[in-house]
Amino acid sequence: MFSRLSVKSIRPLVSFRSLSSGLTSISPVEQSHFNQLASSWWDVNGPQRILHKMNLLRMDFITNTIKSHLVLNDYNNMVNVAEEEIYIPGFDVGLLDDAIADSVLQDQETRRQELLRGMRLKCLDIGCGGGIFSESMARLPYVGSVKGIDLSEEVLAVAKNHAALDPILEKKLSYDLQAVEQIDESLEQYDVVSMFEMLEHVDYPAEVLKSAIRLVKPGGWVFLSTINRDFISWFTTIAMGEYVLKIVPKGTHTHSKYINEKEIEEWFDKNPEFEVKESKGCVYLPAYGWKFTENEHVGNYFMAIKRVTK
Amino acid sequence: MFRAIRHLSTVSAMRLADVVIIGGGPAGLTLASALKASRSTSQLKVELIEGGKLLEGLREFGNSPPEDITNRVVSLTPATVNYLEKIGVWDFIRYERIEEYDNILAYDGVTNSRIEFEHVGIATMCENLNLQSALLAKIEDLGESGCPLDIHDSTKVVGIDSAGNGWPVVELDNGERIQTRLLVGADGFNSPVRKFAGIESRGWSYNRWGIVATLNFKVDSFRQITGWQRFLPSGPIALLPLPNDMASLVWSTTPELANVLLKLSEEKFAAMINAAMKLDPEEMKYLYKLAEEDDNSLVDSISWRLSLFNNKLQPEQHELYPLEIESLVPGSRAKFPLKMSHADTYVGPRIALVGDAAHTTHPLAGQGLNMGQADVQSLVNCIETATERGLDIGSTLALEPYFSERWPINNAMLGVVDKLHKLFSTDFTPVVMARSFGLDVLNTVPFVKDFLVDRMSSK
Repeated sequence: MFSRLSVKSIRPLVSFRSLSSGLTSISPVEQSHFNQLASSWWDVNGPQRILHKMNLLRMDFITNTIKSHLVLNDYNNMVNVAEEEIYIPGFDVGLLDDAIADSVLQDQETRRQELLRGMRLKCLDIGCGGGIFSESMARLPYVGSVKGIDLSEEVLAVAKNHAALDPILEKKLSYDLQAVEQIDESLEQYDVVSMFEMLEHVDYPAEVLKSAIRLVKPGGWVFLSTINRDFISWFTTIAMGEYVLKIVPKGTHTHSKYINEKEIEEWFDKNPEFEVKESKGCVYLPAYGWKFTENEHVGNYFMAIKRVTK
Repeated sequence: MFRAIRHLSTVSAMRLADVVIIGGGPAGLTLASALKASRSTSQLKVELIEGGKLLEGLREFGNSPPEDITNRVVSLTPATVNYLEKIGVWDFIRYERIEEYDNILAYDGVTNSRIEFEHVGIATMCENLNLQSALLAKIEDLGESGCPLDIHDSTKVVGIDSAGNGWPVVELDNGERIQTRLLVGADGFNSPVRKFAGIESRGWSYNRWGIVATLNFKVDSFRQITGWQRFLPSGPIALLPLPNDMASLVWSTTPELANVLLKLSEEKFAAMINAAMKLDPEEMKYLYKLAEEDDNSLVDSISWRLSLFNNKLQPEQHELYPLEIESLVPGSRAKFPLKMSHADTYVGPRIALVGDAAHTTHPLAGQGLNMGQADVQSLVNCIETATERGLDIGSTLALEPYFSERWPINNAMLGVVDKLHKLFSTDFTPVVMARSFGLDVLNTVPFVKDFLVDRMSSK
């Protein structure tokens, strides 16, 4: 099987330079599809309801990932001795007595909350659409700023109008009509770069990934979600989602553009600066909503990739 | 010049809040303190508006409570007490004024069949004022530790409107206006918030009044601390235990009888309670007539009938009935109409309803306040999760889980209580036989009874 991200891909990847306009990461067909959705983007009971529901899982995935990878006792950067005395075991507490385990877990949670409170993450949301994810991210107390970029003027107008309704977003959230490759990495670096439900809509996903990871600060994160190219995903996202249950707007997906989790993992394996830390499948159950699964190789999935070296 | 400035200040007196709670009853105060006690939501800007005079009375109760137990007493389920413990409110309760008990004895006035529920700590009797003053103490304590919350009492809401961005704007009688992300109606049965949101509430009046009073038992023999409930055709009468051999009365009866009973002297009223706990419904009819005529022989007639009744009891049978009432705490009698109602939904864009604003029920099972507490618990969970996910806590996406969790449970509870009321307010023979058979059977089949106890105490 051809990998969508390999050089031998059936649709040959063009080099970064040849994307002359810089706005060609998305085809005109895709763009006009999203423009049509603009007006109902924020109606939580409208055509994008399933996306609003998925956003809940994205937020859980990000918060859980960031929290579970916090370093609770950083001995290299210990500022004072007093802190050293409060030792909080970072190990698995499953073997301890229940009462002790509980109190250790509570200490860990308190420490994590403290660390989070001190953070002001700078985030870039690539393919922000109407801003469902960008807004949620900007409301978190440990996020300092969010910049959302997209290639559709119409959906960006929706995003801006909706953000203006909530005063808390005024100073934290901004939107730009910009392609990721246009951002200068010497001027803008981010703690979190996200690409949700986006790679399956672009023509050259490897190029987009390459442009995106330039912008990640050392120690920062890439969060992405997309869809495996398999029968299950065709059945759930296109056959059922778009045609039978009609919970996804028709024409949202193109099956050949889906990317397998394995392909992304292999792509990152070639880059020693990045480590795939989390990979989680998810599935939509009509009566319940989105739910994480144990299998990231089937259907939709989330990934968290950390920039480990400087 | 001064006028101009004042005018400017009223126009510009629009402030922003995350949550505005209308109503300072137990539901509103619990919501406020739970939001401030939670790690995820403590930084939200919360304001509570109460029309009546609230704070002074609650602080006074907290500092120097009256000697007698006040007449608005509620029965808290273990689930409610657990939650109040969890959010740190229970530490501020005046323990000497509450009574926890393990037994409820309910019996049928027509046939005398009975059912006994036993469960450690099945319910805790607590004055409304004790609960509210503990909630306020907790809120003030949280305020001192950096999570302040504005409570405005003696402040009426004169209007609710929508701002340009769709947020509700609450206009107060002092000219201030608050634009809020989420508006919570904890504002009782006639909820102005519910009306603003255009949410329909459906239900019916029971054509019954509830009479409450605080009573002193005549302690002449031993009784376990028990909640007593007797089903009379006119409605149930309950004596629920309070500290110091006192009891709280909840007597549901027809509007006509309620008027008669409320006009009686306190001595005659106490005698009528003793009669209603033991005597045959036919005898009660005669006594109601004497009471209506305010006949001076009423007290003597009752004590004569009770002595006949008591003499017929075997020694061990005395414990099947409560101790007699010695007297009323002066001025503690009050009445309120009984109704059942349920709102079509509890949430709308930037709106949530809790407690009586969402549902009212017959007090026979003592569930009204507890349902409100469970609403608050569920709504707070929802707001916590939504905050952690960066959602707008006023969006229906954030609030929907509260509605879908609580509405079906409340609806079932309202239904059960409604059926119980209808079942026991008749003396039509087949129904009476069926229900007595039911009670007797229930009382002897342990697992069915356990299930009921479990539901009532909802552990």
